[in-house]
Amino acid sequence: MATRLQFENNCDIGVFSKLTNAYCLVAIGGSENFYSAFETELADAIPIVKTSIDGTRIIGRLCAGNKNGLLVPHTTNDQELQHLRNSLPDSVVVQRIEERLSALGNCIACNDHVALAHTDLDKETEEIIADVLGVEVFRQTIAGNILVGSYCALSNHGGIVHPHTSVEDLDELSTLLQVPLVAGTVNRGCEVIGAGMTVNDWTAFCGTDTTATELSVMDSIFKLREARPTSIVEEMRKSLIDTYA
Amino acid sequence: MSFVLPHSHRPKSNKSCSKLLLAVIGKRFQMSRRPSGRRLSKPQPLAFSPFMRFAFASSTAKRKLPHPQDCQCSEEITFDEKLPNLSKKAKKEELSDSSDEEDSQGEDVQADFEFFDPKAKDFNGVKILLQHYLDDKEWDLTSFVDLILEQTTVGTVVKVADDEDESVFAVVTALNLGRYKDNKCFRQLKEFLVKICSEKSVASELQMLLEKKARDVGLLVSQRVMNLPPQLLPPLYDGTFDEVSWATEDEPTEELRKSFRFKTYLIVTKIYKLKNPKQRKPRRGEEEIEETVFLKPEDELFLELSSWSFTYPMRSQLVTSQEMKNYQLMGLVMAVEAKRIPEFRQMLNSLIDE
Repeated sequence: MATRLQFENNCDIGVFSKLTNAYCLVAIGGSENFYSAFETELADAIPIVKTSIDGTRIIGRLCAGNKNGLLVPHTTNDQELQHLRNSLPDSVVVQRIEERLSALGNCIACNDHVALAHTDLDKETEEIIADVLGVEVFRQTIAGNILVGSYCALSNHGGIVHPHTSVEDLDELSTLLQVPLVAGTVNRGCEVIGAGMTVNDWTAFCGTDTTATELSVMDSIFKLREARPTSIVEEMRKSLIDTYA
Repeated sequence: MSFVLPHSHRPKSNKSCSKLLLAVIGKRFQMSRRPSGRRLSKPQPLAFSPFMRFAFASSTAKRKLPHPQDCQCSEEITFDEKLPNLSKKAKKEELSDSSDEEDSQGEDVQADFEFFDPKAKDFNGVKILLQHYLDDKEWDLTSFVDLILEQTTVGTVVKVADDEDESVFAVVTALNLGRYKDNKCFRQLKEFLVKICSEKSVASELQMLLEKKARDVGLLVSQRVMNLPPQLLPPLYDGTFDEVSWATEDEPTEELRKSFRFKTYLIVTKIYKLKNPKQRKPRRGEEEIEETVFLKPEDELFLELSSWSFTYPMRSQLVTSQEMKNYQLMGLVMAVEAKRIPEFRQMLNSLIDE
């Protein structure tokens, strides 16, 4: 079941946090309600790390990662990088990359197996993504938007994309990503799904403005109702090519 | 809030000094008669946000005002002879200043702004504008925005013509404190105002307005993006106050009609105050340092006409430029008597005409 919360009156949870199957990053400066919501859901399963990137709180949009690794932009301080390396599990490789497009969270959408990348990313960056995150990288657009990380929320079970994505695009993306996709919104009609919510295999967080309909779409596409942390280990990845119109 | 979304519905810029702003905007928004057939071709930079996209489109600046039908009023509006015939949905006002447009590096911003009644789909845009209405207090902003959008009789939302994203650039409305006093968001608003009021002399007046006299008090909510051209302000405010007076006649029930007979307007806004006023003496040749910088020019007029006001330090900071480093963001709360509004309208018109 997805959790609804706010960061200082702001419903864009995907901006101030980054959730993966192995760790969770949250921005500094939020109220205690914000952290306790994460802790309630995730406490024993994965570490929750408070951090900033380049002194800012918009960490969700600046970094991209999955259970294998975390990519941070070149603007990250040395102290922040060290803090991340110390706090995250050893299995997670933290890599700072030199890339002109520094808002990696907006440019890259990934789960543990595949990643969608901004069409203008450097070749070296694409290789680093494939290497560090252990994914297959596809340069794609979503509903004509090149900022794939902003307009899509992706987990190993499914994904939500920009509401104006055509059925053909949905089919194509679904085939590439090998997960079911649905075109939807979050936070009461907001199209920037990647910024509005964050998700992993067993839980999701979205803003308090999210309607019940949006919440039920999330629960169904990300298969959150029955999921528990151990499900990731036990369940086989399904190669369904399934689309929800 | 200083976060940046890729396709931001919040096209704020860094300029916050209102005097500089007026000078720059005055230059940029030179109205000129569009020569037929000629389109200025400017290099189109990569622009993601809707604001930046329209900023590089070329057309003369026009203002369209809502048709009386939309305002749910039965009065005829008279305009001066510059206007062409009424169309179904909007009126066009062609402003024909014949001064030349200075094309500084092709950065002229030309735009068509339209005024609309608030609609439910404006929710996200209006919410973003009101994010810092009560500083960083966590309150029921969602319901507050819902109330604004439900009140279609009084309230205006400013958007850009032909913008497929329909981003909201400004919102102005007046909400009766007594009518909505049972809503949680209004209770939180009152709590906040009472808490931050540090001046004892004003605190009792504030309390009275919030409790006893609430039925006659209108909360004037006016928020917009920073670089919005000031030429929009007179019609925007004129429209709002006109809507209030039409509502006193046109609302279906007597109670609603009474609720718009405001005696006082309560305004919550932001200003910049010099951090150390005594230390800044203007040297020879340097511009005089202003003690207070008004982000919105009409705030200066309201303050002049207000019955009382107080400021409070704000914890959240807006994105500022180098010249604002000596200033601190302060919240300003003031009460303006309704009978002084015609004076305000006159002053605003003459201020903008300068």
